[in-house]
Amino acid sequence: MSATCEFQAKDYKSDLKPIWCPGCGDFSVVQGIYRALAAIGRPPHEIAFVSGIGCSSRIPGYTTAYGFNSVHGRSLPIAQGIKLANPDLLVLAAGGDGDGFSIGGGHIAHLIRRNIDITYIVMDNQIYGLTKGQLSPTSQKGRVTCTSRYGSMENPVNPLLYVLAYGAGFVAQASPTDLAGMAATIEEAIRYPGFAFVNIQSPCVTYGEEAQQIKGLKAISESLKELGHNPEDRLAAMDLAQHYGEKLHLGVFYKNPEPQPTYDALVRERQALLSKDALPKERILDLFIKK
Amino acid sequence: MRKDLVFGMAGSGGDGIVSAGDSLLQAAAAEGYHGVMTKSFGSQIRGGESSCRVRISTTPILNPGGNLDVAVALNWEDFLKFGAELPVAGTTVVIYEAATGIKETEIPLVGVTPLQVIAVPIAAMAKETAGTERAKNTVVLGLIAGWFGIGAVAVMKGIRKKLAKKGEELVEANQRAFDAGRAFAMEHPLKASMNVAASETKGQVKLITDGNDMCGAAAIFAGCQFFGGYPITPSTEIMQFFTDHVWKYGGAVLQAEDEIAGIGAAVGASFAGKKAMTATSGPGLSLKSEMMGLATIAELPLVIVDVQRGGPSTGLPTKTEQSDLFAAAFSAHGDVIRPVLAPTSVADTFRITIEAFNIAEHYQTPVIVLSDQEIASRKETLDPIDTSQFKIIDRLRPAAADLVDYKRFKQTENHISPISHPGMLGGTYLASGIEHVESGAPTNSGNVHQRMNDKRTKKFDPLKDRKDLFEVTGNPDAPIAMVAWGSVAGVCREALAMAQAEGLNVKLLVPYLLYPVAENVYNDYFASVQKGLVIEQTHLAQTFKLLRMHLDLPKGVTSLARSGANPFLPGEIVAALHRLLSELQRSHEGNLQPQE
Ligand SMILES: Cc1ncc(C[n+]2csc(CCOP(=O)(O)OP(=O)(O)O)c2C)c(N)n1
Ligand code: SF4
Ligand SMILES: [Mg+2]
Repeated sequence: MSATCEFQAKDYKSDLKPIWCPGCGDFSVVQGIYRALAAIGRPPHEIAFVSGIGCSSRIPGYTTAYGFNSVHGRSLPIAQGIKLANPDLLVLAAGGDGDGFSIGGGHIAHLIRRNIDITYIVMDNQIYGLTKGQLSPTSQKGRVTCTSRYGSMENPVNPLLYVLAYGAGFVAQASPTDLAGMAATIEEAIRYPGFAFVNIQSPCVTYGEEAQQIKGLKAISESLKELGHNPEDRLAAMDLAQHYGEKLHLGVFYKNPEPQPTYDALVRERQALLSKDALPKERILDLFIKK
Repeated sequence: MRKDLVFGMAGSGGDGIVSAGDSLLQAAAAEGYHGVMTKSFGSQIRGGESSCRVRISTTPILNPGGNLDVAVALNWEDFLKFGAELPVAGTTVVIYEAATGIKETEIPLVGVTPLQVIAVPIAAMAKETAGTERAKNTVVLGLIAGWFGIGAVAVMKGIRKKLAKKGEELVEANQRAFDAGRAFAMEHPLKASMNVAASETKGQVKLITDGNDMCGAAAIFAGCQFFGGYPITPSTEIMQFFTDHVWKYGGAVLQAEDEIAGIGAAVGASFAGKKAMTATSGPGLSLKSEMMGLATIAELPLVIVDVQRGGPSTGLPTKTEQSDLFAAAFSAHGDVIRPVLAPTSVADTFRITIEAFNIAEHYQTPVIVLSDQEIASRKETLDPIDTSQFKIIDRLRPAAADLVDYKRFKQTENHISPISHPGMLGGTYLASGIEHVESGAPTNSGNVHQRMNDKRTKKFDPLKDRKDLFEVTGNPDAPIAMVAWGSVAGVCREALAMAQAEGLNVKLLVPYLLYPVAENVYNDYFASVQKGLVIEQTHLAQTFKLLRMHLDLPKGVTSLARSGANPFLPGEIVAALHRLLSELQRSHEGNLQPQE
C-alpha cells in the first residue's frame, strides 16, 4: 500500500460529464463516493471501480480511477478477479437494483461467502432506468410500469435481508437525503476488511414513483444511530431490515465486530506457503516424469 | 516381430480395466516404447461400463490407432457398448472371460472372424491366486506380458510401487495373479506370434500425461496467473491442475459460481494486468459468449479453452466431437474476430496453449483453444520437451511517453495500443463494453464505431500470415489432398503415411489456427489440388463450410464429416483416398477421349 497523501473529493471527479437526467439521485451518489475516497486517501490509480450496465452503472466513468463499465449484472465477478489478481487495489463495484438483484443476483451470495474485500454499492431506484421504466426486482407488488400495465404480481426482493441472510460482514443503507451520512457510510464500508454492501435509495426522477423521490424518502427516513441500533447485533439488523420499502433506515445495519479472514488474504497466505514448492517454470514438465 | 500393437479392453466399472491400461502404458514407457492411451466410459459415475485403448509402438505414435490387434472383453455386454470405439477385425486376437459361458465359436461379434479367439478363466484365476476377483485386471496384464512381451518386469514394478502403502500381502497376491496370467499365456501360445520388438529408446526418460494436464502446465509456463472456471466434463482437470500448482507461482484459481463468473473473474484479472484464462466445455462455452465479446471490445488478453464433447446441449458429455467450431469462431454478437487455435495431440497442446497466450497478449484479445475430449483425456508418452525453444510474449505496456495524456485505445500503425493496468500511475482509463473513443470515453458515434471495428479486426491481419500455425505433409504438389484438425489430424497423418506407402500422391494440411481463416495458406495449398477431403467429426461439416465461406475450394474437394463418438479409422480414410484417385483417373480418361 502506498503512502497516503492528501486527496480532495474533486481529485476523483473525471472529465466526463454525466448524462444522467437532471435531478437523478445518482448525482449525489457519485459525490458521496468522491468524498469517501478523499477521506480514505488512496490515489486514483490504486482504485479499480467496476460496474455492470444501467444508468447507475455509468458511475465509474465519472470517477477518476481504473474504471470498468462491463456487461449487465457482472460487476461482481469481474471485481473479484481484479481483487484476486492484485489484492493491493481498492476495489469498488456498483450498479442498479436490476443489475445486482435480478440478472446478477446469483453472484452476490458467492462474493459474500468468499468474503472478498470489495465494497458493493447498489443504487436502488426500484425501476429499470436505462431501458426506460420496466419492473425491477425491488419494485413493490402492484407497481404499474410499462411491463406491468395492470400492476406487478410478484413480491420484491429485500436487498438488505438478502445480503444479511447470506452472512455479509457489513451491511448499510444510505440515501441522497443525507449526503454527509452517505459519504461516511461508504467510507466505513470501504474501510471494512471484507465484503461490504451499501444499498443506496437513489431516486429515478424520470420513471420513479412520487413516494420514492427525495421528499417521499425524507418522510420515511430514520437514522439507525438515533434509533439506538447496535450494529454488532445481526438479529436486530435483520429485524429492522424487514421494514425495507416502508421505512428508510439510514446507516449501518450490521458490522461484524470480528471480521472473518478475507479470501484475498487467504490467497496471499497460500501463495506464500507454497512458493517454495515451485519447480522452475522451464522445468514444469518434469511433473510428468514417471519414475 | 511387431512394431506396433493396439489393445482395446472393456469391462464393468469395478473391473479396473482403465487402471490396467494405465499400468500397461507406464510399463511400456518404462521399457522405452511410445504409447497412447484413451479411455471411454458410460455415463454412470461408478460401476458402469468402462474401456480403454492402449497403443504401443517402437516409433512415435500419431493417433490411438484403428482396428484392435488385441481385444479383451471381461464381459460382452460392456464390450459391445463401445461399438466403433473398439473395432474388431480379421486381424484381431480376441481374449475374453471364459465365465461368460460363451463358446469361442459363438462370440457375439457380427460380421467378423477374428484372427484368433481365446476364452480365459480370468475371474477364476484371480480368485484362485489372489483370493479375489478384483485381481482380474492383473491377470489380464499377465496375459499381455506373456503373449505380447510387454511389461514382463515393468508392470509388476509399477504395481508394487502403487500398492506399496497397502501392504506386502496385497502386492504378493497381485504378483501371483500376474504370474498366473503369464503362465497361462506361455502354456497356450498364439497361432502366430505377436511379440513386439524391443524399443530402441529403452532406458530414456519418458513423460506421461494427458491433454488437460499438458494444457495446465503450458499455461503456467506461459505465465498465466489466474484461472476462473466452473467444473464441466471433460475440461475440469485443467482447473484441478491450477488448484494443485498455480499458487506456487504467485497466482490464484477460483472455482466460480458459474461459467459466467469464471470468465468474468478472468476478465477482471486480465484487466488487473495478469495473464488469465478459463476452461470449459460446450454448455459452458455458450454461457461465456457475452464475456468473450466484452473482452474483444475492451481489448483484454484472455485464453478460453474449450474441450469439445458431443453437443448440442448436454449431448454426449464423455465423447469427443469437433462441433464447437462454429460456436468458437462466431459466438458473441457483433463484428468480432476472435482467434481459434486447435492442438492435435497431447504433445502439441503444450505449444498451442503457449501460442494462445502469446496471441492473446500480443493482439489484446480473447483466444479460444479448441481442444477435444480425446486429446484432453488421452495419455501419451512423450520424449522430454526442450522448453527453451518457446518464446513468451507479454502485452505491450505503456512507456513513460504513452502515459502523458494516456489514450488506452490509441490508433497505432499496427492497431495495437499500449495497455495500462490498475496500480500504474498515469494510466487510469475506463474499460468498457460500450463503444469508446481512443481515451476510453463512451460514444455512440457511427464513425468512431466504424474506425474502432477496423482497429479491432485489422489488427489480426498479420496472424493470417503465420505459416508456422499450419503443417503441410506429403508431396506439396499432390493432386489429392486432405485437411484435418484437432484429434482427427492424427488419424489423417497416419492415413497419409499408409496411402503414400501404397503409392498415392497425396498431401495433408493441418491447421493449428482455425480462425481467422488464413485464405492465402489455403489457396496456396489447394493450387495443385484436383481432389480432396475435409475430414472432421461434425454432423454439419462445419469446417468444410467455414472454409467455403472464405475461399473458393476446388470443385473436387468434398467433405468427409460425421458426428462425434464414432472415431475415424486410418484405413477408412485411405479407402476414401483411393476412391478419389479412381475418380481422378476416370476424369482424366474423359479428357483423353478423341474430340470429334
Ligand atoms: C444481457 C443484457 N440484458 C439486458 C440488457 C438491457 N438492460 C440494460 S440496463 C437494464 C436494467 C437497468 O436497470 P438497473 O440495473 O436497475 O439500473 P438503472 O438503470 O435503474 O440504474 C437492462 C434490462 C443488457 N444490457 N444486457
Ligand atoms: S432514467 Fe432515472 S435512473 Fe436513469 S438517469 Fe434518468 S433519472 Fe437517473
Ligand atoms: Mg434501477
